[in-house]
Amino acid sequence: MTRDTLDRTLKILAVLTVFTLPLWVTNPSYLQILILLFWYAYLTTSWNLVGGWAGVLPLGHSAYIGIGAYTSTILAVNYGISPWFGMIAGGVIAAIVGVIIGVPTLKLRGAYFALSTMAFGEGLRVFVENTDRLGSCVLNGPRGICIPLSNSFWNFQFMDKAPYYYIILIMLAIALFITWHMSRIRIGYYLNAGGEEPEAAQALGVNVAKYKVIAMAISCFMTALAGTFYAQLALYFYPKAILGLDLSFEIAFIALIGGRGTLAGPVLGALILRPVSEFSRIYLSSVLPGLHLVIYGLILILVMIFQPRGIQEPLTRFYKWFLDKVTVSRG
Amino acid sequence: MDTILQGIVNGTLIGSIYGLAALGLTLIFGVIKVINFAHGSCLMVGMYAAYWAVKLLGIHPYLAMVIVVPALFFFGYLMQDIVIKPVLKAQSDVREPTEVIIVTTGVWYILDNVTLMIFGAEYRVIQTSISGKIFELGDLIISKPKFYGFIATIVVSLALVWFLKYTKMGKSIRAASLDREAASLMGINQYRVYNIAFGIGTAIMGVVGCALIPFYYVFPTVGVIFDVKCFIIVVLGGLGSIPGALIGGVIVGLIESMGAQFMTSTWTELIVYVVFLAVLFVKPAGLFGSKLDW
Repeated sequence: MTRDTLDRTLKILAVLTVFTLPLWVTNPSYLQILILLFWYAYLTTSWNLVGGWAGVLPLGHSAYIGIGAYTSTILAVNYGISPWFGMIAGGVIAAIVGVIIGVPTLKLRGAYFALSTMAFGEGLRVFVENTDRLGSCVLNGPRGICIPLSNSFWNFQFMDKAPYYYIILIMLAIALFITWHMSRIRIGYYLNAGGEEPEAAQALGVNVAKYKVIAMAISCFMTALAGTFYAQLALYFYPKAILGLDLSFEIAFIALIGGRGTLAGPVLGALILRPVSEFSRIYLSSVLPGLHLVIYGLILILVMIFQPRGIQEPLTRFYKWFLDKVTVSRG
Repeated sequence: MDTILQGIVNGTLIGSIYGLAALGLTLIFGVIKVINFAHGSCLMVGMYAAYWAVKLLGIHPYLAMVIVVPALFFFGYLMQDIVIKPVLKAQSDVREPTEVIIVTTGVWYILDNVTLMIFGAEYRVIQTSISGKIFELGDLIISKPKFYGFIATIVVSLALVWFLKYTKMGKSIRAASLDREAASLMGINQYRVYNIAFGIGTAIMGVVGCALIPFYYVFPTVGVIFDVKCFIIVVLGGLGSIPGALIGGVIVGLIESMGAQFMTSTWTELIVYVVFLAVLFVKPAGLFGSKLDW
């Protein structure tokens, strides 16, 4: 077997495993864990479009998750519009909001953008937590919204977890495709250049801020879709769960630890960091509250000091080394 | 009329203390070009240090500054030297090293949660000799600890400006913040300058901690409240600007205390965010932001 065929076989095997997983993972709670894992991978991939390629640090992406969840739910509960359309509507609103925030701040130093997105995210959380009704729409403030049960494809509700699994998997695949495609067309090159050397790119006639705003709009749109997905999966959500600093930071951390600005980074980051944080929270917080976050902080610092390009770099190197080793020893 | 005047006085006093907290952040940003996300946690450390100094030694909270402020200076100095410097060195060709922001966030998580592990989640209050004391000025009621906090802000800001303008180290700090390559070519050890700047920024949080302790609770995540406030204040005032931080602080304090007379406090929090976003649209680099940031 040559190196290329082995590489291809392994990749096809991985894809097949991922797509057939619900056939052998029948325990719904395990499937739920997998769904949330891919949900994080999807969110981080969306974040990566602006946080990775455009070289800025958005720290308020949970705001767009919230916009997506609340928009589609309000449309469904109040007006009987299918969440599938509500999802798109939420995405459009999130993109518009993202552009409004991005236009003044993306021209400035990165710190302004990071802090502004963070303040916007917190502001939105405070607003939602203090609003019981918005016109005729019920937001229920901090208590959150319950989605009435009605299992059907039209209502984006399913009895078992497998359909959710495939939906988030397809969403992740599309997000990865968009990322891959963007890195190969002009906007990707412009963003990369603008992220690394804004002055040089500008001197060459690239309107860096404009492309950053476009990336921001796409990223916000995609993030809002994940909000609708979460609402339909849980059928109940409240501001603390989908809005606020913790979630925004977690998305950024997954991307940075995985490797920002790379295709595999967000997925690898979610695959490794999510289980670590989940299990350490479950097993350690009863022993010593706070210990799991100390570990989390330590991981962040150590990865940033020793692998500033993220863990995707050593993992990719290991994969290549493994391919070489296997094929050489055979041939 | 009286309530409005009262609101202005209260807002200015508490706002000046916010401004002092933001001053440390803006100083560190001005020099290293990094937002210190562990800034609120440094304040938390300062408040715990002040709390235990008062509790164990039984001294006046303002006298505790003699111990707390140098302790926090070394704390910040060592934090920059041990944790942040290696990343900063690795990223020395990057204008705004994002990795450093993430490292400071890691420090934030560790500090807050180690404190939680050691001291528990409870809210601690300490009764000091000036807690709850007031001046009466006609109909105006002025809280003594907040008034002294206001005085501390003025003293610390003037001292900082003097230090930056007239001492050799202050001049080095300003030089490094303008152009770090040129400064190191002139024989300034840039990493030493960063350590000192970080130390001073953290030491200021020691002053704030001692000023807050007579009238504020101490708990492990107290820093987060001040973190978000400080971020808003420094962007409002313009990153890296000393008058910007102070005036931004007073603006936030005034919004909070004036708003509290008309609505619940959670809504005043929202108004702070609205004003913040409005300023961002009108003058994106903040009220005193430098033209270079455009």
